[in-house]
Amino acid sequence: MAGTDAAEQPPRTAVTIVNRDDLQRSRWTVGFRLILAIPLLLWFVVWTIAAVLLAPVLWIATLVQGRPPAGLRDFYAAYVRFSVHLYAYMSLAANPYPGFLGAASSYPVDVVLPEQPAEQGRWGIAFRLLLALPPLLLAEALAGGGGGGGGAAGSDDWSVAANGPGVLTTVAVLAWFAILARGRMPSGFEALQTYALGYAAQAYAYLFLLTDRYPDSHPTAAAPQRALAPHPIALTLSDDPRRNRLTVAFRLLLALPHIVWITLWAIVAAIVAIVTWFAALITGRPPAALHAFLARFVRYSVHLGAFIYVAGGPFPGFLGEPGYPLDVEIGPPAEQSRWVTAFRLILAIPALVVGSAIGGAALLAAVGAWFAALFTGRVPLGVRALIAYSLRYSAQTSGYLLLLTERYPYSAPGPVDREPAPEPAPEPPTPEAPLTGPGVA
Amino acid sequence: MLAALTAAGIVAAAHLWQTTVPGDLRLPHLQASREFPARDLHRAESFEAFVRVTFLLSQAALVAVLAVYARRGTAFMRESAAGPIGTGFLLGMLGLALVWLARLPFGLVDLWWARRHDVVHVGYVEWFVDDFFGLGGKFLYLCLALLIVMGLARLVRQAWWIPAAAAFVGLLTLFTFTGPYLVPDLHAPKARELRAEAARLARREGVAGVPLRIEDVHDWTDQPNAYAFGLGPSRRVVLWDTIARFPRREVRVVMAHEYGHIAHHHIAKGIGWFGLVVLPAALLVAIATRRRGGLGEPAAVPLALFVVVILQLATGPLQGVATRRYEAEADWSALRIARDPVAMRALFRHFTARALADPDPPGWFHVLFDDHPTGLQRIAMADAFARAQR
Repeated sequence: MAGTDAAEQPPRTAVTIVNRDDLQRSRWTVGFRLILAIPLLLWFVVWTIAAVLLAPVLWIATLVQGRPPAGLRDFYAAYVRFSVHLYAYMSLAANPYPGFLGAASSYPVDVVLPEQPAEQGRWGIAFRLLLALPPLLLAEALAGGGGGGGGAAGSDDWSVAANGPGVLTTVAVLAWFAILARGRMPSGFEALQTYALGYAAQAYAYLFLLTDRYPDSHPTAAAPQRALAPHPIALTLSDDPRRNRLTVAFRLLLALPHIVWITLWAIVAAIVAIVTWFAALITGRPPAALHAFLARFVRYSVHLGAFIYVAGGPFPGFLGEPGYPLDVEIGPPAEQSRWVTAFRLILAIPALVVGSAIGGAALLAAVGAWFAALFTGRVPLGVRALIAYSLRYSAQTSGYLLLLTERYPYSAPGPVDREPAPEPAPEPPTPEAPLTGPGVA
Repeated sequence: MLAALTAAGIVAAAHLWQTTVPGDLRLPHLQASREFPARDLHRAESFEAFVRVTFLLSQAALVAVLAVYARRGTAFMRESAAGPIGTGFLLGMLGLALVWLARLPFGLVDLWWARRHDVVHVGYVEWFVDDFFGLGGKFLYLCLALLIVMGLARLVRQAWWIPAAAAFVGLLTLFTFTGPYLVPDLHAPKARELRAEAARLARREGVAGVPLRIEDVHDWTDQPNAYAFGLGPSRRVVLWDTIARFPRREVRVVMAHEYGHIAHHHIAKGIGWFGLVVLPAALLVAIATRRRGGLGEPAAVPLALFVVVILQLATGPLQGVATRRYEAEADWSALRIARDPVAMRALFRHFTARALADPDPPGWFHVLFDDHPTGLQRIAMADAFARAQR
């Protein structure tokens, strides 16, 4: 099943996000970003009220005609576009001050909506609000209040902290400090924010009947595809998305022996990590045997996470051996800077925070995957990709924390870092699904 | 070796079979219709008749599902990326999951019936959630059992059943000992008189220091119940708060009965019976699973589940006889200590009225499935004691 993910790459959705940002940021505007955004926020509130009031009209008119009336369509398209501009600005995903009209192609981070939407099915229109609930929830977890029109949910990006910050908000807070220090947006953060904004834009475009294409959480569905930086801890995905309904129905209970086992293993791993820390501090590299032990632990936690989150089909083994359909490859022990080793726990905090936010979204996606797999016998590829991304980031964070590598976790989304080694002969990546390999920057 | 084990087993069984109930005790023949108010009797009979039907159907579903699973269950091996033991875990858990699914309708019907008779108050959703997550506990126990048998089968091959039986007896002993420390929400009775009465009864039974605890269950049931558990220093007598509200003399009889269990070492003897049963049972499982490569192979797990359930059903009546003897001994002990046959009579009449326990179930059902004497037999014992005292 090598390359399943590539072969079954989802089609690009009707809603996509364009990012022409150069990562350069003005420290002054970043420092005062929230205050500068106040006029935009006020305007956004007014626009949101109008959007909510007009929504029943849009719904009825679309239900009658089978497609949204041109005037209303343009109004909501501009609203979604403006929301993306505003949230990109507030979350530091873009630098310039956005316009107030949500004009197309007017901002470095922009959403591309279908010009002339095709006729939509009446059933889909009739139940749109209900159908949109799962993606709206996921958009909330990703964009923290709804990047593409979140005002409809009655919250702005920064107030979401009260309800538990989404990925966009969490990354924005960390990015604020990074930019003030370096004058530049970290590329991984920017890619993650673009992904979150892209998904939220899809969700709200779907809600406001601008498209009938169901939102797809695949990292390459709406956001621009980009090569992932090489990392010693890389994900491989060879999973068959078909699922056995019985193992899905009882998945959490089936994982119980694993949960008991990983709890015991984690205690030992924590002790081993402390020993490794001292050894790495003294010798400059982790001892091979301890590295191998911790690598097994990280691999096992990925297998188990994949199984519980329905992103992996089969029941995993208990020893963290390579070969699970959703796996991580972990490089051999290497020299590590003693300074980075000494302060590893503190340095890992931002990655842990980001990982926690991504994990929240993945948990929500897993609930969706569970229902989808139970009813259809398949896990949706986009959902699986989001969970796989979360597991990859989590493995990189654990690997960093447990001294498997000194390379910092890379937060740019991407379903697969490396394809598993092909069995008969290597095949070139298909044009529709370029996958990055080791050494591709 | 088999002959030696068999002989030892017979000697042990003969020892465990003994009770202090006088061998020449003749229970008077009683008529349920004369002992119980007609309305109570009718309600209890009607309630339990229905429960018996759903129970039998549920048992049939259990056997049917596991029979099919024993043949087809190996197909689930492709759902595993684990090694042989991990795959065995998966197959074992899926077998239990299928049994749970098949028995779910009967459980729901039983709940509906119990709610209709005001025996329990628990809601359907709460019951379902509890039952589902309770299955998780069963999964863990099963995985532990499979770890032992599959690990030993891979290690010592065909003779695994001997160390496995010893391991299971050891585990049961461990769980019996630790059980009282793991049950939440047990508390000492608030009423000083109840505590003093319990201490008096424990002293008379020669088990002074074994504490009385109350378990609050009134939120989900009205059923009265009490039990004794633990080993050595972990021994406890527990009254459900629903029974603690019974008339004081009846509660005294209940406590005396439970202290009787402890005084006569019924819990330890239960472990002894388990040891006697588990050894031949493990041997039979080992023989039955040989054609699938033995229990070291995951393919043998579905068949092993089926064999275990059949053995449980087959030995159930034998185990029932033993437990009924111990219950009778605890009743006799309670009568000797509390010296209140009138209260015991009232207690079992109360059980029929409150718990809708049929005092005189069909003989075949009693022999096959009951682990307590019938209410009528227990009243008869109280009468026999009273007569002996005159």
